[in-house]
Parts: sequence; C-alpha cells; structure tokens
Amino acid sequence: MVAELFQQYVGVVVATVAGFVLVGAALFANRLLAPRQATRAKGLTYECGMLPIGRGRLQIHFRYYLFAILFLVFDIEAVFLFPWALSFLDVGAMAFYEMLLFIIALGFGLYYAWRKGVLQWR
Amino acid sequence: MRWDWSLLAPEYLLAGWAALMALLGLWGRLRAYWLGYVAAAGALASAATSLIWLGDRTAFGDLLAVDHYTTFFRVTFGLIAASVCLISAGYVERFLRHHGEYYAILVVSVIGATYMAAAQELLSAYIALELLSFSLYVLASYAKMDLRSNEGGLKYMLLGAFSSALFLYGLGLIYAVTKTTHYQGIAEALAGDLGGTKGLALLGLSLIVVGLGFKVSAVPFHMWAPDAYEGAPLPVTAFISAISKAAGFALFLKLMVQAFLPLHDDWSPLLASLATVTMLLGNLVAVHQRNIKRLLAYSSIGQVGYLLAGIAALSPETANAASAVLLHLAGYVISNLAAFACVTVYYNWTGKEDIYEYRGLAERAPFVALALSISLFSLAGMPLFAGFVTKFVLFQAIAEADLLWLAAVAVFASFVSLYYYLMVMRQMYLVEPETRERLGVAWPEYGLVAVLVVAIFVVGLGPQPLFNAAQEAASLVYQGAATFAALSP
Repeated sequence: MVAELFQQYVGVVVATVAGFVLVGAALFANRLLAPRQATRAKGLTYECGMLPIGRGRLQIHFRYYLFAILFLVFDIEAVFLFPWALSFLDVGAMAFYEMLLFIIALGFGLYYAWRKGVLQWR
Repeated sequence: MRWDWSLLAPEYLLAGWAALMALLGLWGRLRAYWLGYVAAAGALASAATSLIWLGDRTAFGDLLAVDHYTTFFRVTFGLIAASVCLISAGYVERFLRHHGEYYAILVVSVIGATYMAAAQELLSAYIALELLSFSLYVLASYAKMDLRSNEGGLKYMLLGAFSSALFLYGLGLIYAVTKTTHYQGIAEALAGDLGGTKGLALLGLSLIVVGLGFKVSAVPFHMWAPDAYEGAPLPVTAFISAISKAAGFALFLKLMVQAFLPLHDDWSPLLASLATVTMLLGNLVAVHQRNIKRLLAYSSIGQVGYLLAGIAALSPETANAASAVLLHLAGYVISNLAAFACVTVYYNWTGKEDIYEYRGLAERAPFVALALSISLFSLAGMPLFAGFVTKFVLFQAIAEADLLWLAAVAVFASFVSLYYYLMVMRQMYLVEPETRERLGVAWPEYGLVAVLVVAIFVVGLGPQPLFNAAQEAASLVYQGAATFAALSP
C-alpha cells in the first residue's frame, strides 16, 4: 500500500527530473552554440536599451515596505476575486456576502493604515 | 450537513471587538489605560455568550464542534484574555506603544485558541493554530524598541514556523494513510487494517506530536520558551504561558482521543518519555534561574510535563485522565495568571524582574507578597491551594493507567519545584529589604489578584463544580470517539 501511495507521485518525479534536464540542456546548448564576443557595451546594465543612469547598486528606501504591505492587501484580494467572479453565480447569495465581508475587512485594513499616516511620505 | 452560522456568535463578537479596539486606538479619544477594560469586557461578553450553547451537542458543518468541550474552553480562554487585558492596562499604557492594536491582536488570538479546541478536522485545527501563533509572534515582539523583545519574538517566530511545517507534514502523512482529515474518520481508518502503512501513520503521528510539542514547549522542543518569555512584555508572557498552553493541550487532547486512540499502545510510551524529560528538565533548570520571568517559564515547562504525562495516561476505557488533564490545565492557568499579575504589579512599580530584587517585598507590599506566595504554593501543589487538588487528581489518573513510575517522577518533580518557589518566598519574607518604603497600592490590579487568589482557594477547597465541568467536557470528547470502539478489536 505504501508503494501504491508513492506510485501516484511517479508523474511528479518524472516532471521534476525532466524539468531539470531540459533547463540544463538549454543552458548547455546555449554555451555550445552561441558566439561569444565580450565588448564593453555588452557588460553594461540593461535599462530598456538606454544608457544606464547612476550606479548599479541602487538603494531602495526602507519606507517602501509599508507600501509593499499595502500592495499585498490588494494582491491577495485579486487572487480571491478572480476565481470568485467566475463561480459566484453558481454558489449563490452566500458567496456574494462572504466576498462582501472579505472586501470590507480589507477596506478596514486600508482605512486603518491610511488614518495611521502610512500613505504620507514624511 | 448543517451550516448554522449563529453557532459562531462568540467569535463574531470577538472579531467585532477586535475591530472596535483597533478603531478606539486609532481615534485616540479614550485613554490608553481604559482600553484594557474595554477589551476585557469584550472577552467576558464572548465567554458569557458561549454559555448559550451550554449542554448542546451540535457542530458547525462537520468542521467545528460546539459542545461541552468547546464551551469549557471558550469560557476558559475568555477569562484568560479578560484577566490578561486587566493585567495589561497599566503596563501597556506605560511601556508600550500602539495600544489599540495590542488589544485587537490579543482579542483576535482568542478566536484561534477557541477553534483549536473546537476543530473536528485537521485543517481547521491547523488554521486556528496559525491564527493563534501569528498573533502571539506579534505580541511577543511588541516592545519594538526593546532588543530582548525583538530577539525573543524572532526566535519564537522562527521556531514556530519550523514546528508548523513539521505539524503540517505530519497532517499530510496522516491524510495519505487515512484519506480523510476528520478526526473520526482517521480513528476509523486507523482502527482498521493498516497493512504496510502503519509505519507511515506512526511517522505522521510523531511529526504531529513534535509540532505540538514545540507549541506547548515540551522538552526537547522548549529552547525558544525561556527567551521568548523573558523578552516579551510581561502581560504577553502571562498570556503566552496561559493561552498557548491551554489551547495547545485542548487540541492535543482532542486529537489524541478522537483521532489517534486506536494507536494508543504505540504513542503512550513516546509521550510518557517526553513527559519524563519535560518534568525533570523543566523543574531542575528552573532552580538555577535568577530572572522571575525565566523561572516562571521553566516552571511552566515543568507543568507541561505533568499535562503530557496525563495525555500519556489516556486510555480507551475511561475518560479519567482526560478530565484530569482539563482540571489541571484550569488550575495551572488560574495560579499562573495570579503569579504573573503580581509580578506585573511589582514591575509597574519598580521596573525590576530579578528574583533577588524581590527581597523584603513582604514589608514593602504585603498584599502582593502574600498573593504571589499563594499562587506559587498553588503551582507547587501544596494542599489547600488549587494546585494540590488538580495535581492529586492528575497523578491519580496517571497511576491508575499503569504508569505508576511516571506518577512517581511527577511527584519527585513537584518536590523540586517546591524548592525554587520557596526560594522566591525566602527573598520576599526572610531577606531584609533595601528600603522600608512602602510601594503604594494598585487597586484595579489588586482587585484582579484578589479574584484570582479566591479562585485558587475555591478550586483548592471545593473543586467539585470545576471537576464536574471538566468531566463532562472530557466525556463528550470520548463520546465523539466512541464510534471507533466498536471497530477496534
């Protein structure tokens, strides 16, 4: 029965191994086939084709973490909203109210952060 | 299947109350001191609301049971949270910032704790466990500017995440073997013929035990506890030591009885050895502690040992050990909260938490010294106090389950614990104080301490009502498990 249990995972193992092999093969083939000519321009940081401005080691202000957290609020909301939008007609009124509650809870979080002055850049 | 949403009313109340606390903190109209009282009122109201279902046996879908067991813990957790809010009032106003959030998180964590006790199914239990743990991680590191608090909180969070992973892996293995996450279904599957998967089931069970062992800080998974306890703000230490243990054991007990009783012969020795190590190490290391928070941390590890011994003594035939565990849990929570309330009052006055700083407290604040002595005597298990009765019932149940040696170890560990509790009392009563200046009076905290001390004596002298409640709660858990009894050979 244990063997039977693990047999279900054979596909996963095969996919994992195949994935590694494919990526490895692509990288290897790239090394083999691609022409290599190092120039100074090629070593530059890629910035949408323009010449890079400033140095590569750019520091991001620590204050952004609060925005990142607030972004997560809406990110998670989207993750739940899309599947819900597809199926809430089938599930019925309950699904509507549950999502309403969820959005109210998230809205409360935003209101709280707003009133706490998180959105102000001081 | 019935999805009766009204069954969850006490938790709606808590969630609403948490939002209210956050808003009150945000608007800042109310003095921070009174926020503690408002939060305590919410916790009490939730505990009172849960009494509506007293005596009922129903369930929300097949996920959360609402029966005596749940009600027992709803009331326990509500009272714990209310006491901790009252202990917090003075402390939080003086030493912490963001008062509204503090109480909001504290109130939310009670929901997690309640559903850990109510869950009838592994995934609900896991989510509830995480809700409680997340709240406690935040609370443990709430003193943002205090390095010790940060250190303790980080250690707590890292090891907590690690233990959650182990727990989840255990759940996965159990699901793989039994193909269900419901406790009863697991029990039925485990009582049947397991064939070659028994090893896998035992591995899953051990991982679950280790994961929960981390959460309740059983030796050898206790490393985080003293640091987290020492670093966390004092009322939070009180809260962690009370609610995370109570909720952890609520889940542990229910899981062992309803899901894993068919494997009883396999896990009983494992838990008995865990209990032995926990009792001995917790109590012996406590002897060396100089900080009162660390002392109480190790003493609570010792108490976890007794409770684990009680779980090792569970048997398919009687619910004695289960009700003894519940009774001792209640007794421990009351005594521990009383001790922490006294320590917090002293800290509010002086900002000191080393044991030698308690010298001569009996002259400077006789009431606090007396109350602290009473709660420590109760933790040690002296007659007259709650600790004696609950330990007596627990050790008796252990001895009756053919684990006489384990009961002997527990009695020995209790003697060791008496030594270090007495060391604190020696400082308070026999050593000359630094100054003879009286320390003032903190009436609101005194009121809470007085209530807890009275509760210690009530449980110590007339334990029958609490014992009955514990017994009914435990027997209901067993009735839930009764289906497998017919199946097992």
